[in-house]
Amino acid sequence: MHGLHGLKQDRVMAELEVEKLIVFCRELRAEGVSVTPSEAVTAASALQVIDTTDRNEVFLSLRSILTTSVDDFPIFEALFKRFWSRSTHKFVQRETLQNSTLRQQSNTPRQSPKNLAFFLEHWGSSFSGGAQPVKVPGASDTESLTTKDFSEFTNEELEEVSRLARRMVRRLARRPSRRWRPVRRGHRVNLRRSLRLSLKTGGELIELTYKERRPKRTKLVVLCDVSGSMDIYSRLLLQFVYGLQNSFAKVESFVFATSLARITGELKNKTYKNALDRLATNVRGWSGGTRIGASLAAFNAQWLRRVDSRTVIIILSDGWDTGEPEQLAEALALLQRRAGRMIWLNPLLGSTDYAPVTRGMQAALPYINVFAPAHDLASLRALEPHLVL
Amino acid sequence: MLEQQVYVADAAIATALYLSMALGKPLLVEGPAGVGKTEIAKALANALDTRLIRLQCYEGLDATTALYEWNYPKQLLHLKLEETSTASEAEKEAVIFSEAFLLKRPLLQAITQHDRAPVLLIDEIDRSDEEFEAFLLEVLSDYQVTIPEIGSIKATHRPHVVLTSNRSRDLSDALRRRCLYHWIDYPSLEKELEIVRAKVPGIEADLAERLTQVMQATRTMSLSKIPGVAETLDWANALVALQATELNEQIVGETLGCFLKDEADIAAFKTELPRICMDYTD
Repeated sequence: MHGLHGLKQDRVMAELEVEKLIVFCRELRAEGVSVTPSEAVTAASALQVIDTTDRNEVFLSLRSILTTSVDDFPIFEALFKRFWSRSTHKFVQRETLQNSTLRQQSNTPRQSPKNLAFFLEHWGSSFSGGAQPVKVPGASDTESLTTKDFSEFTNEELEEVSRLARRMVRRLARRPSRRWRPVRRGHRVNLRRSLRLSLKTGGELIELTYKERRPKRTKLVVLCDVSGSMDIYSRLLLQFVYGLQNSFAKVESFVFATSLARITGELKNKTYKNALDRLATNVRGWSGGTRIGASLAAFNAQWLRRVDSRTVIIILSDGWDTGEPEQLAEALALLQRRAGRMIWLNPLLGSTDYAPVTRGMQAALPYINVFAPAHDLASLRALEPHLVL
Repeated sequence: MLEQQVYVADAAIATALYLSMALGKPLLVEGPAGVGKTEIAKALANALDTRLIRLQCYEGLDATTALYEWNYPKQLLHLKLEETSTASEAEKEAVIFSEAFLLKRPLLQAITQHDRAPVLLIDEIDRSDEEFEAFLLEVLSDYQVTIPEIGSIKATHRPHVVLTSNRSRDLSDALRRRCLYHWIDYPSLEKELEIVRAKVPGIEADLAERLTQVMQATRTMSLSKIPGVAETLDWANALVALQATELNEQIVGETLGCFLKDEADIAAFKTELPRICMDYTD
């Protein structure tokens, strides 16, 4: 009699626990920690194999099941604490909760104001995970052209920029990856395939097939600022983009000022002058004000699917943004999570007294892997190793 | 259980491992380099008295290196020997594509372990590429692999799977969801001291404490490569080998290569050396 009663109570207890767990999962979701139904099921079965009266054990178990990244730990901990004290306190303080929802959903370390200040203070020294300026080899080239500022370039010298871009791209395209592909003639025998073929001839290896390393495929997405403040550089950087575009199959190029325009098609043209003419007629907002954040958000909305971990994003801009820095940070965070690498080329970085203090630039820095100058040929050349993933 | 394996465990690790075994789910361990992620799997294998099968990931790792490959030289040799036999092509094919000609790579080894469930360590999964991750997901979901020439092989014992990642890239959500998650950070002073004492039994108590203090202080400096626990142990072993009984500027200077592996870091540390020595040595 007593035993039966006990059994019934156990089941009631278990059902209560599961119900509580479901509510807990729902609240986690509301806080931005995505919990799938299958994880909830796992959590429920975990409750059956652990000591549910031990608060710490429940905490550790549920945390290892319901979170998938250390970034979610603080939210989980806060919610867990409140959840377990709920039976005594009926009212939940929503305020503390809302603060945590405002967190950026990104895998980069969250940038509190203090962090950012630290970063700016130490940028240039090594700081893992953040952006570092690329060291430009000082006067390593014999041509005086390499260190001449783009703003002083004549039209004839512009052609050199295209040539550099094409040279760089050719070198990049030749880098072998670790993957194999079958080829007719090569240096390494593809044993698997050869042996299969040999069965046709009774096990005699007559026909050999070969394999070679697949070339490494990096995709490039170039976003070039063509607003007024960038005028002297954008013509030139577009030339660079044109060079890349015409020798590298997987380049997507965009220009932006107050809005965003895709120019991949326009740049696929026989001569740069033609391309430029078509651009001038097709792109609105050419040399107007700048809204970097809005432009990048527009890119994300439409083109984010083209970006994956084998994509290098290059943004060419001086960081003078008339929009809200929050919007820029948000757009960059989204982009950075998908992209293999984020490179921000800022022509102003070439001058020694420049510091990235504009609000836009400050908001952007935490999400940039490589922050480099782009004011002369040497700086563009120094970019090459960063284009390989 | 883990304590016996000279692994200093805390409640979080123990719970995660227990759940991983109880629920039969892989355990994903993340954390900075050198905090003992790999050690977890080793300690687990020792504790369960079972085999540790390790798959070291790298970029371009593919199924032939991770799962299986045919033993081509053996196949060729066999065909040569059988040249004069009257067996048909189909019969020959059946022979050379049998299990005897199969080279089992770590994943297949882990699945075909006959006596008991092994511990499968998939180390630095973040270094492999996404295609491999997807492939791994498939293997880990039903512990079954299909070899076209032989057929499906199902796990006799489900291996205990531990995956480690240094977070050099984001793992896919699908993989994360399939695993239990555990994060290891640099240990506290007390825990690190406990680790040093457990792993380097010959060390004097005083020296152990001071060197741990120096390591903890080193981690607060802005270095490009922050030393992990592995480095602490290297250093402790080096000091014991040199029969050092105390830390002073000279001996720290001579042995700092044990825990600093970067030219710029060493230079930065050297400028701080007198201050550190003042604070933590005699």
